[in-house]
Amino acid sequence: MSEEVTRRDLFATVARGTVLAVLGGGAGFLVKKANGQVVWQVNASRCINSRLGDLGVEACNLCTTECVVALSAVRAVNEYSKCGRCNICPAYFNITSAVNELGQPSEKLCPRDAIERRPIGKVDPEDPANNFYEYIIDEEKCDGCGKCVMKCKEPLGLGSITLRVRYDRCVNCNRCSISKACPQDALMQLLVSQALQPAGIERPG
Amino acid sequence: MQYRHVQVIDGKGALRGIAVDAQARGELYAAGDSEIKVFDAAGKLARRWPTARPAQSVAVAGDGAVYAGELGQIEIFDGAGKLRDTWRDDELLRRVTAIGFTGDSVLAGDSADRAIRRFDRGGRFLNNIGKDNPLGGLLIPNGVVDFGVDAEGIVFAANPGKHRVERYAPGGELLGHIGRFHGIDPAGFTGCCNPTNVAIRDAIYTAEKAGPRAKAYDFSGKLLAVIATDLFDANCKNMSIAVDARGRVYVVDTVKQSVFVFERVNA
Repeated sequence: MSEEVTRRDLFATVARGTVLAVLGGGAGFLVKKANGQVVWQVNASRCINSRLGDLGVEACNLCTTECVVALSAVRAVNEYSKCGRCNICPAYFNITSAVNELGQPSEKLCPRDAIERRPIGKVDPEDPANNFYEYIIDEEKCDGCGKCVMKCKEPLGLGSITLRVRYDRCVNCNRCSISKACPQDALMQLLVSQALQPAGIERPG
Repeated sequence: MQYRHVQVIDGKGALRGIAVDAQARGELYAAGDSEIKVFDAAGKLARRWPTARPAQSVAVAGDGAVYAGELGQIEIFDGAGKLRDTWRDDELLRRVTAIGFTGDSVLAGDSADRAIRRFDRGGRFLNNIGKDNPLGGLLIPNGVVDFGVDAEGIVFAANPGKHRVERYAPGGELLGHIGRFHGIDPAGFTGCCNPTNVAIRDAIYTAEKAGPRAKAYDFSGKLLAVIATDLFDANCKNMSIAVDARGRVYVVDTVKQSVFVFERVNA
């Protein structure tokens, strides 16, 4: 008899502890969220536009169509330390379009013309292939459609362009509408201290 | 001109550079992980030996010496894998992704500096190739310098950022190029940067990434054949290519870790 009581007490204690831990953790998370310490972010290794191995598929544009923010709080960001500064960038040009007199594709890829291409360093005006180019994404124009991200990833590109939540635009919904729609669960809510990428606002250029 | 796929060689691990033997014994040498692997004509692993550092490239000299390109050095072995010499240079041999021979010189592609280094047979540096241009080197966003050498000692370097194969004299003078960008026409090189790899024999053989394919051009730049496309894993990149004396073309599938072998039809 005394053994049964002890076991019941033990179960009750464990149950109470679990409930308190869950409530405490949840409350702590909410407090941190209220304090701005919790952020949504795109996990590039889950996003189909940037993760390796998914080739020959259309870019996913759910970040554009599902976000409650105008255009989207998710924008394409070019990480310059990874960018190859190529003459013909598949994220900038539609590389299957007709070739023009300069030997380059005649069409751009971005439907919003949000990427600017600038020659850098010593510029050879005669031969575009003799120059390095910088690709700058205009975040005011970008709507996070992911087309450039898909074309930049390995092995076609170097994977320097990824989609990122911009925290000056994101309204930090309790349940992000993109995360609800994303079939890859690529939108994650994390403490700033646990974020996979810096939560600060990075601007190209 | 047409090719047919005749053999798959299991690479027994990672594959980076490949080379055929100079004696036309049908042996294939492969660099990968931290070892050199030698496959016989039937594609069976005949022997293997370790390298001191991860092997990026391999070449076999006329005397049978096997040169392994590594990080910061070249190791020189005899055909059985016994170490003969090591050339160390943290400046000129930072990442040796290709090795070749012209006359009495040894050539090493250093991808860290986007250049080809020319040494004498004793390892003394002579000159750079592909470095003296407004861009300070070959354009290799793919991260690999690769080249081949023809029977006259002319160096054919892949310059993928320019969508060209460039011809250089051993002294470094640019002699000309073949190739152009085109996203649809198979005669062109597509993407940001192709061809990534090149081999020279009776023609110019190239390998491309995204989508992966191997092709042959004559020396004027006319496309002779698309050797293969569909066999390779779509995620392949920097697929080393070699051609033996019989005209068999060997292409590395870096994802499947295999070498696909092709023969010319009605050769």
